Amino acid sequence: MELRLENLTKIFTNKTGIETTAVSELDITIESGTLVGLLGPSGCGKSTTLFMIAGLEKPTGGKIFFGDDDVTKLAPEKRGIGLVFQNYALYPHMTVYNNILFPLENLDVPREEAIERVKEMANLVGIGTLLDRKPSQLSGGQQQRVAIARALVKKPRVLLLDEPLSNLDARLRLQMREEIKRIQRETGITTIFVTHDQEEAMSISDKMVVLDFGVKQQYDSPQQMYTDPDNLFVAKFLGNPPINTFEAEVKKGYMMINGDKFMKFDVPDGLYDIGMRPENFRATEDGFKVAIKDIFHIGRDTMIHFDFNGVNVRALVDSDDIEEKQKFVNLSIKPNRVYMFDKKTGEVVSHG
Amino acid sequence: MADLINSTKKFFRKIGTVIKTFFWNIRRVLNNIKKRIGKFLDKHNLNFASKFPGWAKALLYLSPALIVLAIFTFWPIINAFALVVYENYNMTTDTITGYTVFGNFITVLTDESFIVPASHTGSSAVINTLIIVFISVPVSVLLALFISAALNSIKPLKGFFQTIYFLPYVTNTIAIGLVFAYMFKADGGLVNEFLSFFGVQSDGLSWVESGAVYWRSMFVLIFYSIWSTLAFKIMVFLTSIQGIDKQYYQAAAIDATPRSKIFSRITVPLISPMIFYILVTSVIGAFKIYNSIVALFGTSGAPAGVDYNLQSIVMYIYQFIDGSNAGNLSVAAAGSLILFAIILVLTLVQMQVSKKRVHY
Amino acid sequence: MNKQLFDKSNKIEKWALFVDFLFIVLYITLFFALFKILQLPIDEETGEVALGLLQYINPEYTILGNQLYLTLGAEADTFITVNLLISMLVLYALVAVPMFFINLKKVRTRTIYEVDSYAAGSKFFQGMINLLSFNPISFVLRVWNMFILVKFVKGYNVKEFFKSIGPAIKAFFKKLFTKKEKEKFGDADEYSVSIKKSIRRQNAAQVLRLTFTYVFLIIMALIIVIPFYWMIVTSLKDFSGANSSNPEFFISISRMNWINYKVVLTELNFGLYIRNTVIVALFSTAGTVLTTILAAYAFARIEFKGRELLFSILIMTMMIPGELYIITNFITVSKNGFGWIGTDNNNYFLAMILPFITSISYIFFLRQAFKQVPDSLYKAARVDGCSDFKFLMRVMVPIASPTIFTITILNVFGSWNAYIWPRIITGIGGEEGQQFWLISNALRDTGFALDTGEVMYNLQIAASTIVTVPLLIVFFMFRKYIMNGIGRSGTKG
Repeated sequence: MELRLENLTKIFTNKTGIETTAVSELDITIESGTLVGLLGPSGCGKSTTLFMIAGLEKPTGGKIFFGDDDVTKLAPEKRGIGLVFQNYALYPHMTVYNNILFPLENLDVPREEAIERVKEMANLVGIGTLLDRKPSQLSGGQQQRVAIARALVKKPRVLLLDEPLSNLDARLRLQMREEIKRIQRETGITTIFVTHDQEEAMSISDKMVVLDFGVKQQYDSPQQMYTDPDNLFVAKFLGNPPINTFEAEVKKGYMMINGDKFMKFDVPDGLYDIGMRPENFRATEDGFKVAIKDIFHIGRDTMIHFDFNGVNVRALVDSDDIEEKQKFVNLSIKPNRVYMFDKKTGEVVSHG
Repeated sequence: MADLINSTKKFFRKIGTVIKTFFWNIRRVLNNIKKRIGKFLDKHNLNFASKFPGWAKALLYLSPALIVLAIFTFWPIINAFALVVYENYNMTTDTITGYTVFGNFITVLTDESFIVPASHTGSSAVINTLIIVFISVPVSVLLALFISAALNSIKPLKGFFQTIYFLPYVTNTIAIGLVFAYMFKADGGLVNEFLSFFGVQSDGLSWVESGAVYWRSMFVLIFYSIWSTLAFKIMVFLTSIQGIDKQYYQAAAIDATPRSKIFSRITVPLISPMIFYILVTSVIGAFKIYNSIVALFGTSGAPAGVDYNLQSIVMYIYQFIDGSNAGNLSVAAAGSLILFAIILVLTLVQMQVSKKRVHY
Repeated sequence: MNKQLFDKSNKIEKWALFVDFLFIVLYITLFFALFKILQLPIDEETGEVALGLLQYINPEYTILGNQLYLTLGAEADTFITVNLLISMLVLYALVAVPMFFINLKKVRTRTIYEVDSYAAGSKFFQGMINLLSFNPISFVLRVWNMFILVKFVKGYNVKEFFKSIGPAIKAFFKKLFTKKEKEKFGDADEYSVSIKKSIRRQNAAQVLRLTFTYVFLIIMALIIVIPFYWMIVTSLKDFSGANSSNPEFFISISRMNWINYKVVLTELNFGLYIRNTVIVALFSTAGTVLTTILAAYAFARIEFKGRELLFSILIMTMMIPGELYIITNFITVSKNGFGWIGTDNNNYFLAMILPFITSISYIFFLRQAFKQVPDSLYKAARVDGCSDFKFLMRVMVPIASPTIFTITILNVFGSWNAYIWPRIITGIGGEEGQQFWLISNALRDTGFALDTGEVMYNLQIAASTIVTVPLLIVFFMFRKYIMNGIGRSGTKG
């Protein structure tokens, strides 16, 4: 089921009349059967967007389409969505079996088929043996699987997950995100999930939407966004260790770093924000010479700290290329891995 | 044998499934009907419910309660103010002879058995009630506090004692009142026997029968009142004491605080909101005392042939409804309003005092 | 091997319980049969029941052959009297029924790890109780069970067990006497001696404090319990016993006068009054629970304009004393209003029930409980297509069921204790109204007096007992829930 958001906007007005724009002119088309991550820092409007798609929040402007149907004004129960809450929202007084059966009571489904579906879903998410327990007798990961089963049992058109992994401990997080990917692949349902953890989003999404203060920053596949960020925000948001950013001036077609010509770029002269990812540096013989401030050997990689234009920059290089207590190093980087951003708009500037 | 048990189990399970499927299908049918009605209304644009959902739904849910409340709670309040200004309202003919603003109030306030002790009985309802309130409430609250503290400090038999102290709550006031009257019987009552065991000259000492004295009867009434209201107070205090974080006590223990100080400086202040709540509700409840008096002394409010009575304010009011002065509803309404005013004033006073002493 | 023994023990226990159950049914049936046989004294001339004769009765019913004789007068030559039988049956039932339920619970919940020598001992103890209750079958089963458990715990079989009793007793006594010898070390160190002294002082102070606490609690408990005991004892006395100047404190089980209850229930019509009260309690509680659930849900969940305002108004009316309402409600239900009383076509029950099928304090209390259900649960249900009403019934109500139970209990107690309103209502009706008395009215207004003017206290107190005991039984069954619920309802205030 293709999901389309057209100029979706949400403005909150509190009691004293102050308006806050949570989501602003969001325009996205999500292909059927894909797993899309809504990513962004706290308060960027991702949960609000999710709830608007679910129908629990009414948009101030714009439209939402499920396939060809305009569902903007439709009540949540009529949209055919499945929603997994951050705290799972399982009915504490019902067994797992009854929790999963509950949504089917309102659909036109014969009882035997309903029971079949419950068992099928329970097995799909991996809790087939826990059907007689109550939620309080389950671990966090198990509770989440029950919540997912409950959302999927009515064969929804769209599956929505609100920060599904944030309540789990680190070890469980890794395991559960692969589970989510597997479940999504097996069922083929269009899925959207919200998270603030970029590594999580990048590892399982087919495509990602990055939001900042309600404005869409970029909508692309994870790898694409990583290697070709559209703006400074996206570049800074993705990547661990984070991207290095500093200011540099382009004089007569050359970028100046530490007073010397660094590289030739076909852009107008002026001040730019530059981004370089630590892992894109190479230690080569004919590279740019820098004085090493600090060296950290981490097994296979070595992290070196140095200054570009007065800003501390990190580079991740092969341990074999650096010796301990080395004082200077020659670094090079591919031109297409140097990101230049307009100082005013933050947009990336192409440079050939 | 085992087969028999197994096949019965299977049989019951089958019945269970049939019943469950039955209800399931009913639900499906109902849902379908709902959907079709919804679609029909939408088509013809008649679906009001979806246009003001909150409003209409709330009305539906509140209507049973509101209707009953309107007839039996709100209307009486308004009507009471109306009744109070009627003069000589006659219930049988539903007529009045005129209006009077303060007439009924004056009747009550100057009536000889209300505030001023009546000449022939030497007692007044207000004085009786005040005595009851100002003795029984402090005593019962203090007693309940001590008992809850004591209960909280022991481990074995705690549940046993709790059950016993709760017994008076599950009883019928009049039933146990009769038992108390019997216990205080002049000739051979348990109390007199008990007193003579201790050498007190109590042969034929009358407490609630003819020949009794005001203070003895009042003692029985107050004793019974405290006896029957202890249970609730103990329960509430015990629950709140148990809710106090153990760390306060641990800190005090390390500081070698004596137990009496722990009680007065830690326990009591920490449950002071609860104590306040109990005080307020107990005072209000004590002011409205009625059933206990009827239980011990009958509807006349006094033992036979004595020259005093133990009427409470409420008892005084009821005589105007179906007692000796039946049908005089306006006076009854005036009395109730005066009672309400007294309770209101006392509650406000208590709230003022609490501002200093109650710690939230 | 051990698991087998454990299962076997459980199976035997289940059979023993089944037999217990049969015996309990037997006790109760016998009780009712005997109770029915009890004869009320009949005036020989008029052929009607003469209550006055009860004044002289020391009723002892003798079963001689097939005939039941009622012996009036103080002397009777009997071996078995019906009174004695009934007393014994009641005693057995009182012991057997709780034991049955406790054992039932234990069988269900005991795991294999909890079985120890105490379990075996308690089986023997219960077997003895069974024997005393004339239940030989259960006795045998339980003793058998005990041996199995002994094998399970200690690995003895029967012979070895009996052999081991002697040495065990010896070891027990040895333990008792050797304890004292350990404390006489001489400690050279001054400091540790002074610590020991202060510990001893501390222990003494603690023992003293504990003693005082227990003494205080016991005295209070006695003051609470004595009225109940006195009530039950008096209700089983005969006329002279209840009115004597030197009342007995104990009463032998052969002289328990069970006929008092029969008189109260039938001749004095308390059966009818109890029935009335049950009807009123049932309907008013059902109505209250329904209206309260709906109204509390509206205030807790449904968003509508003026919700807070309406709620505040309701809270304010809580302060107004009920006496105010009674006045107008009296007019409303009489012929000037709905005409349920005071007319030719009276419906007393409507008048007694309808004004009380809702209560603001319960709505407040339940609203608090509803508000504790997390919002996300509601959203999840909405997404699942669940309507408001379904959510209320399937989710809110089950989660808040302890509170609803407390409200039910409070309401039942309220109806049980109602006095003034039923009195006013039935007072208008005169003789017809008397048929609709509730128990409180009946207790107060029934004349328990004889023609001579003396009051039959034993009957009066028996009436009190009949009114109190059902509630006590309900209380003991649901003890924990009731006490917790009341305690919590207070703290939420």
